[in-house]
Amino acid sequence: MKLDRRFLLRGTCQGALAVMALPFLDCFLDSKGKALAATGRPLPSRFGTYFYGLGLTKQLWIPKAGGTDYEMTMELKPLEGYRKKLNIFSGLRVPLDDNPNYQHWSGAAAAATGISPTKQSEFDSKTIDQQIADVISHGTRFKSVSASAAGDPKQSYSSLGGPNTLPAEASPLSLYTRLFGPGFQDPTKGDWKPDPQIMVQQSVLSVVAENRKTAMANLGAADKARMDQYFTSVREAELQMAAELQRPDIQAKVTIPTAPAEMVCNNALPNLKVSLPLMAKLGAMAMATDQTRVFNMSVSEPGSQIFVPGDSLGYHQSTHEEPIDPVLGYQPRVAQYNIQNMELFASYLKEMDAIPEGDGTLLDHMLVFAFTDQSFAKIHAVDGLPIMVAGGASGRMKMGHHVAGDSSPVSRVGLTIQKAMGVSLDNWGKGSMEIRQPYTELLA
Amino acid sequence: MRTLFASVLSAAFLVGVAASPVLAASSQAVTSLRRLTQAEYRNSIADIFGPEIEVRGSFEPTIRIAGLQAASTSTLSVTPVGFESFTQMADSIAAQVTAEKYRAKLPCKPKDVKAPDDACSGQVLGHYGMMLFRRPLSSEELKNAVGLSGKLAKSQNDFYAGLRYGLASLIQAPDFLFRKEVAVPAAGKSYTIEPYSRATRLSYLMWNSTPDAELLEAAKSGELNTAAGLDKQVNRLMTSPRLDTGMKAFFNDMLELDTFDTVSKDSILYPKWSSTIAASAKEETLRTAIGLALHDNGDMRDLMTTRKTYINRALAADYKLAFPFKGEWVAYEFPADAGRSGVLTQASMLAMFSHPGRSSPTKRGVALMDIFLCEPTPTPPANVDFSAVNDPTGPLTVRQRLMAHASNSACASCHTHSDPIGLSLEGFDTIGGKRSEEKGKPIDVSATIQGKSFVGAEGLGKFLHDNPKYPACIARKMFAYSRGENSEDVPASAFKAGRTAFTESGYRLRALIKGLVEDPSYFSAPAPEPEPAPTSAKTKVAAQ
Repeated sequence: MKLDRRFLLRGTCQGALAVMALPFLDCFLDSKGKALAATGRPLPSRFGTYFYGLGLTKQLWIPKAGGTDYEMTMELKPLEGYRKKLNIFSGLRVPLDDNPNYQHWSGAAAAATGISPTKQSEFDSKTIDQQIADVISHGTRFKSVSASAAGDPKQSYSSLGGPNTLPAEASPLSLYTRLFGPGFQDPTKGDWKPDPQIMVQQSVLSVVAENRKTAMANLGAADKARMDQYFTSVREAELQMAAELQRPDIQAKVTIPTAPAEMVCNNALPNLKVSLPLMAKLGAMAMATDQTRVFNMSVSEPGSQIFVPGDSLGYHQSTHEEPIDPVLGYQPRVAQYNIQNMELFASYLKEMDAIPEGDGTLLDHMLVFAFTDQSFAKIHAVDGLPIMVAGGASGRMKMGHHVAGDSSPVSRVGLTIQKAMGVSLDNWGKGSMEIRQPYTELLA
Repeated sequence: MRTLFASVLSAAFLVGVAASPVLAASSQAVTSLRRLTQAEYRNSIADIFGPEIEVRGSFEPTIRIAGLQAASTSTLSVTPVGFESFTQMADSIAAQVTAEKYRAKLPCKPKDVKAPDDACSGQVLGHYGMMLFRRPLSSEELKNAVGLSGKLAKSQNDFYAGLRYGLASLIQAPDFLFRKEVAVPAAGKSYTIEPYSRATRLSYLMWNSTPDAELLEAAKSGELNTAAGLDKQVNRLMTSPRLDTGMKAFFNDMLELDTFDTVSKDSILYPKWSSTIAASAKEETLRTAIGLALHDNGDMRDLMTTRKTYINRALAADYKLAFPFKGEWVAYEFPADAGRSGVLTQASMLAMFSHPGRSSPTKRGVALMDIFLCEPTPTPPANVDFSAVNDPTGPLTVRQRLMAHASNSACASCHTHSDPIGLSLEGFDTIGGKRSEEKGKPIDVSATIQGKSFVGAEGLGKFLHDNPKYPACIARKMFAYSRGENSEDVPASAFKAGRTAFTESGYRLRALIKGLVEDPSYFSAPAPEPEPAPTSAKTKVAAQ
C-alpha cells in the first residue's frame, strides 16, 4: 500500500500513526480545533513569498511604537486594511560577514536563505519557499509555482541553490495555462476523475529514470551534481503524476475562472496594477484548489525597474539620484514609488483574502513572507531591511504585531515562519545569521 | 525473450547502433555537459523530424556569464519546472511523429498496427535515437525504449501508441537535453574528444543544430579525426547557407540581443516605441552582422563603422526615414551626414542599454566595453555619495551630472573607463532617435578614452574599428561560445590560432571559425582528475 500525506491526514490524525509522516505541529494544532473549524477536516499549510524591490523609507514606514497598537505610517498606509493579518519587522540586521555587499542582491538573498551570498544573483542554498515546500507540498500537483508580474521568467526568487532558479510564469495567461490548462482536473466539479494518460506517462518516466546510472557515468563532480538535479526533477515529475491520480480535498468555495487575455507585462506601473492582482488571484485559486501549496510572486527584480510613464528617471534611478529634500528629510519621489509598491502588495493580499475557506479566508490559513533587497536603496544599505509576514497559518502565528528594532538577524523571521509552517528544525541560517531562537511570542 | 531482443538488436544494427565494443568506461571522461538552449532544441527537433513538427512549451531561461549565455549552458541543470515542460514537449513531439499523417516517413511499418512489433520499433527508435543522442544508442538504451514501446503497444492494442512513448522517453532523456562531450585517451598521456562529440561541437557552432547524417557518418568512419576529413566537413558546413543560422545565434549571444526581450520604454515620453519596433531592431542588427560577415565576406571591424543596414517599415518610422520600398526588409545605406556608425548606432544597441525614459551613457558605456572590448567594468561601491550629483530635474545635463561622479575619486576610475563611450553616443535618445540638444543646450559628444580623443558615434566607431582589442574580443568570445566556457577564464593561447587566421584574412569571420576549429589543440582535452578511491572513507571509519 502506498501511504501519502493526504491519506495520513484523513485517516490517522487521531491515532497513533499520526506522528509518522506528518509535521508534528499539524496534528498538535488540529486538536485545538482552529484549523478544523468548519468541516472537521484539516486544511493544508500554504506558503507564499512576495518579493518587492528597493525597500522603503525608514522614517516613513517604521511605526513609532512596537506591539499591536502602533500608529500606521505613511508608506504602510495601503496595508491598513490588513493590519490584523500582518506582522512587520523593523531594525533587522543583515550581517554579511566576509562577503561583499552585492548590490540589490545580498539583502534579498539573506532574507530568503539566512545566508550572506557569496555570488551576485545566486543563492547559496535552497530558498525558504523550497525548504518549506519539501515539507508541506507532498501530494500536490505542483511542488511550488512562481510568477513574475513584470513578465520576466528570470524574476524568480525561488531557487534550488546556485544558478538553478525555478523560472517564473511570465504572464497571467501562462500562469493560467500551467495551473488550469491541459492536465488540470477540476476538483470543484462533481465529475472529477483521474486522467488515464497519467499512468502511461508514469511508465515513460520510469524508463527515463532507469537510465540514471549510465547517464551519471564518467562525469566530473560538478556535472554529476547537475545530472543528479536532472534526475531529481524526473522524480518530482513522478510524484506530481502520482498526486494527479487523487482528487484534492478542498474546502474553499471557488469557481475556476476562464483564461485571461494576452497582455503586456513589463515594468510600467499601470501594467503591473493589472497583471499583479490577476496573477495573485490565479495563485490563490491554485492554493485553494490544492494544485500547489507554495506560490511565489515577484513584482520586479531587485533594483526595481518600475516606472510611472512620463517619469524619465523611474524607481531605481530615483533612489540613487533624487536628492533628499532638505525640509522633508527624505526623497519625495522615491516615497511615492514606495507607497505604490505597498499598494501592489495590498492588491495581492486582497486576492488571498478574497477566497472563503473553512472558518476564514485563504489568507488566514497561509503565511506570506514579503521581502526586499535594500533597506535604504540610495546607498545600497541592507541593515534594517523592511520585512513583513502576512496571513496567520491557521492560527499558528499571532498577527498584528510590529516587532520593533531588536537587532535580530533577518534570518530570525525565516526561522519563525518555518516553525509556524511545521518544518522541523532547530536553527536556520549561516555565519552571523545562524539563529536558534524564533520569535516565540509570535508562535501560537 | 532472448530471441526477441536478439531480433531487436539485429534490426538496430542495420541503423547504426554501436556494434564495435566501446572503450572501457573508466578510460572515458565527460569533459563538457551543456544544456541545450531553446534555439538549439528547436533547430534540432526540426532537423530530426522535419519543420512541420510543432514545438510548443516554455524553456528555462539561461543566464549570461562573462558576456555569454553559452557559458551558462555548462553550469545550469534542468529544474523540476524545466523538466515538467520538457516531458510535455517530448510527448507532444512524439505524438506528432507517430500520428497517421507522419507515418509514411518512418523507416518501417509494423506487421500489425494493433500489436507490438519490436523489430520495427527497434528500427525507428534506433534511427531517431541516433539523431537525438548524436551517437548510436547503447544496446541497453535501445532495449529500454523498445521494451517500453512493446509494453504499451500491447496494453493499448496499438503499435503507434507504444512507439510514441518509446520515442518520448528518448526526447526527454538527458542524452538529448544535454550535449555531452566525451574525451578518450590519445597518444601519450593526453586525451582527445571522441568523434561524435566533435561532430556535435562543430554542428552546434556552425549550424546551431544537431549534426546531420553525413557528419555523424564522418564521425563513425573516423574521417573526422583526420585533418583532411575535418577540413572537408568544416568546408561543407561553412559553405552551407545554414551557417547564417549558426552565426546568428552567436551574434545574438555576443551582442546580448536577448536582453531586448524584456526591454520596456516609457509610453508617454516615447509613444512611437512598440513591440514591433523592438523585434525589428533586433532583426536589423542580426541582418547587419550576418550581411557583413557572411554575405559580403567583409571585414568584421566594419561592424563598428558601416552605414549599411537593413530596415523595414517599423524601423523606418523609428529612424524617421521615408520607406518608399516594396517588401518586408530592404538594404539601406545611411547618408554620410546621418551620424550613424555601424551597430553602435542601431536602435537595438541604443535602446537596450538605456532606461525606459532616457538614455544612459553609463549603461551604454559599460555594455559596449564588455561586448566589444572584453573589458568588464567592476560594480560600483555600494555606498556611493551622490550628493555631488544635483537634482536630475534641474538644469544640469547628463554629462555634467556624470562628470560629478568622475570628480569623486572612488567613482572616477570606473566612470572614466566606461562613460566616455556612452557620452559619445548621447546624440541618440533611448529609442535610437537622433537628437542634438538636451534641455535646450547642444549636446557635447566629445570623449577621451585611453588617451585617444574623438567626437560622437562616428568617432567612437573609428576608435573601436582601429582598436586591436576588438577583433581579439570577437575571437575570444567565439572560442568561449563554441565550448561553453567562461570567456574571462579562457587563456589567450587557447584561441591564438583562430585569432591569427582572423587577422591574416583581414578579419573575415569564416577564417576565424576555420582557424579555431582546425587548430590541433581545439579537440584536445585535459586528462581527467583521478577520482578518490571509493574505499578510502570506509578504511577511515574502520581505522577509527
